[in-house]
Amino acid sequence: MSAEPTFEAAQRELEQIVERLERGQTGLDEAIALWERGEELYRFCLGKLDAAHGRIEELARVATETPT
Amino acid sequence: MKIDPVERGERKVYSVAAFNRGVRDWVARLPTVWVEGEVTELRHHANWQTVFFTLKDPAEGACLAVTMPRGQFDALRIDLADGERVHVFGRPELFEQRGDLRLRALTVERFGLGDHLAALERLKRKLAAEGLFAAARKRPLPRLPRAIGLVTGNDAAAKRDVLTTIVERFPPARVVVAETYVQGPRAAPAIVDALAALCRLPELDVVVVARGGGSFEDLLPFSDERLVRAVAACPVPVVTAVGHEQDTPLCDLAADVRASTPTAAGRLVVPDVRELHATLGRSRAALERGTRRTLDRERQRLATTRERLTRAPALALERKRAALNHAAARLQALSPRSTLERGYAIVRSGDDLVRSSATVAPGDPLRIEVADGSFGARVE
Repeated sequence: MSAEPTFEAAQRELEQIVERLERGQTGLDEAIALWERGEELYRFCLGKLDAAHGRIEELARVATETPT
Repeated sequence: MKIDPVERGERKVYSVAAFNRGVRDWVARLPTVWVEGEVTELRHHANWQTVFFTLKDPAEGACLAVTMPRGQFDALRIDLADGERVHVFGRPELFEQRGDLRLRALTVERFGLGDHLAALERLKRKLAAEGLFAAARKRPLPRLPRAIGLVTGNDAAAKRDVLTTIVERFPPARVVVAETYVQGPRAAPAIVDALAALCRLPELDVVVVARGGGSFEDLLPFSDERLVRAVAACPVPVVTAVGHEQDTPLCDLAADVRASTPTAAGRLVVPDVRELHATLGRSRAALERGTRRTLDRERQRLATTRERLTRAPALALERKRAALNHAAARLQALSPRSTLERGYAIVRSGDDLVRSSATVAPGDPLRIEVADGSFGARVE
């Protein structure tokens, strides 16, 4: 996958591929290419979901002093 | 209590304690009054029994010390800050030990709440007229934000509710927390700064502004014009969860989505990872099904073609055979044999067919061919 797409874009593309396949008008080569792309997108999305646990970061305090 | 002076020669002299006690008793008879002034030097400590501040006359600079039992002060939930105008209802009191005159407060009210409300209403109308609250401005929230900004106080509950909900629903979330003031006169500019700082993060896709419930005054910074404008101008969608359901600070109107609670805000900004897994799984199953169907169809088509291919030579042979049979039949029809079968005979003399009586003479041997064979004969 070239420039990393967002999860949303990848999921949308996957759904579009599924729709095209379901319409059943694709040729064999095209269907196989679509399937490969779909699998790739599926793994990408899954990877995003299963990616290392989330992070909670503290932005350097905007106001550091404490109220008196 | 009777305060007696002592005699020093001709003078009557009071001890300091006796004097103070005397003045205290006299002061104690003064009526309870309202005093208006500006709060300065507010000292409020968790382990002190009393809250102290100085009430200053903004015009003349005159000062008056004020005390209030901490329990009573906290019960007001007024969250005073230095510089605020207040009305204090109390009675004067002399602190005997030091001879200081103080106002012992029974209650404190922020002055000009009505003015605040009117100003808020004016601001609301002005911003609405500018279109800051228009529905057309509301942006949809991202389905899966790369980074979520959270502007909150160190107010444990609101912050914890947002974070817990986000992490529970969507463990891979990345949240950047900007802790800041969420009440008092410094809150509005501090929140504006926090928003701006968060928006500098390249991956930020959405911001949550969360603050727990509080008094009308507590929530005032969230109606501050600077903050409302900053929320409206924020480059990414903003979700606000400020105060309780019934509170509607102006920043809620400018936000893209208003959440009723910090927990609801958390739910809005991230998807449920289990649902996403399920959706992805369904997509993948459909992907396989779709591909398999195409493969099956192509395989079927191939099989049909192959069958036609194998049948083709046999078919061609069959056609040739039929043609041959036809030719054979026609050939048969033309053959002399069938004529012989009808009773005709072929007569030869030597190797020549006898076509004329002139070609034979009596005594010539002849060969007669009939349908089932031949025999010799002689011309007479």
